[in-house]
Amino acid sequence: MLRKLLKHEFRATGRIMLPMYLVLLVTALGSNLAGRKMLGPSDILNILGVLIIMAFGFAICGVLLMSFVLMIQRFYKNLLQDEGYLMFTLPVSIHQHIWSKVIVSSVWFIATVLAIIAASLIVAFQGGFLRELFDFLRYFFEGLQKLKISEALNGTVYLLEFAILMFLSLVAFSLQFYAALAAGHSRANHKMLWSVVWFFGFQFALQFAGSLLIMGLDRMNFFRFFDCFDGLTPAAAIHVGLLLAIVCAVIYGAIFYAVTTFFLKKHLNLE
Amino acid sequence: MPVLECKGLTKRFGRTTALDEVSLAIEPGRIVGLLGPNGSGKTTLIKLANGLLTPDGGYIAVCGGAPGRESHSLVSYLPERTAIPTWMTARQLLDFYGDFYQDFRREAAEEMLDHLGIQPGQAVRQMSKGTREKVQLIMVMSRAAKLYLLDEPIGGVDPATRDYILSTIIGNYNPEAAVVISTHLIADVEKVLDEVVFIHQGRVMLQSTVDDIREDKGMSVDALFREVFKC
Repeated sequence: MLRKLLKHEFRATGRIMLPMYLVLLVTALGSNLAGRKMLGPSDILNILGVLIIMAFGFAICGVLLMSFVLMIQRFYKNLLQDEGYLMFTLPVSIHQHIWSKVIVSSVWFIATVLAIIAASLIVAFQGGFLRELFDFLRYFFEGLQKLKISEALNGTVYLLEFAILMFLSLVAFSLQFYAALAAGHSRANHKMLWSVVWFFGFQFALQFAGSLLIMGLDRMNFFRFFDCFDGLTPAAAIHVGLLLAIVCAVIYGAIFYAVTTFFLKKHLNLE
Repeated sequence: MPVLECKGLTKRFGRTTALDEVSLAIEPGRIVGLLGPNGSGKTTLIKLANGLLTPDGGYIAVCGGAPGRESHSLVSYLPERTAIPTWMTARQLLDFYGDFYQDFRREAAEEMLDHLGIQPGQAVRQMSKGTREKVQLIMVMSRAAKLYLLDEPIGGVDPATRDYILSTIIGNYNPEAAVVISTHLIADVEKVLDEVVFIHQGRVMLQSTVDDIREDKGMSVDALFREVFKC
């Protein structure tokens, strides 16, 4: 059922995000042409060129903003407003609802970053650009071939750990908004106002609890644990650091996941 | 086995008791009117049966189990408001229901949509409020469910649409299933009901067959409702 939820969630969000990416790529192409052909002695062409480049800037802001707004809006409108009557009576679990929302939001965040990179490459494209790009890639792969097996393995694992960390961070980022919305909408009135209050309440509570935890661990001399890093190679220390960051992201996300699940399961209060 | 059963079911919202020790049982093959004035607890009872609310006391069972993921595949629910996503087209809505409900009869739904003159590519947001309600009802009644829970299906629509809605319900429900119709518009639904449950201030005042009311009380359900709920 999660697969079906994902299918319809992508359908609901894709109709907004895909045209946004198209606008981004078209304005990137326009900016490339403006930079190469328009900026020059003609005032009119100069103004036109600057406007197109500004449109590209707005398009970047637009896709970033939209992927963020859509992450919140889909959860709010699809689960906590009128559509919730349909969604929460489907034969699917609360967990599947939450996962479908966080997975789709994270995929759009990643796709947005990739689209901006692609658009930036389009803007930078000019005669000889492809040759320079291929040269760079050739040097890069030649460099890789000269690496020792251990270095290549470490590099691959770093990339994997970094990708996992990024994905979990995006999931945790979405979940803190979902938890606040779910908690706020369990109230009878002023649901959105309560959601904002819960959001800042969660932030305050987590920072407070985090500070207390660090102080407590410090008194227990827990941080002497890090002395064992001294014996590690720099490569191993980076692995440990990334793994610790992954554990932190999992704990952070798990707290908000538990809160979201609790309110949607036990205190759902649709208008 | 009853398809819907409550024992001592209680639900409170703050200091307000929306349902107070409600006990009733609805058997399959019956069309039951859940009748009561506004704010009597009808919608709360239907929401509890759908797992949209959790009870504060007592017990509610749908097809023998607590409301939840399993019961959702057996219950076809029409909420009192338009819950279908308005950005979807009629075709996407058919895909949606077909994907999630194994008992969804797509051909029946397509036939009814065609009868209303709705094109598959037409978006729900382009439809009038009345047409949206009809489309939602078509989706709900195109399922071969064990229990249909219809919350105010004829509220806020014109008399011609009421007739359409009632004929759609009668013409499409699974005869082995129970249909619960919540409404305060008694005169319009009386002719299709087998049984009624009167609910007032969160309490069940009466559960009886329509025939018994006519024979024992010598009056219509509408007349009895007016007498019981006289202000």
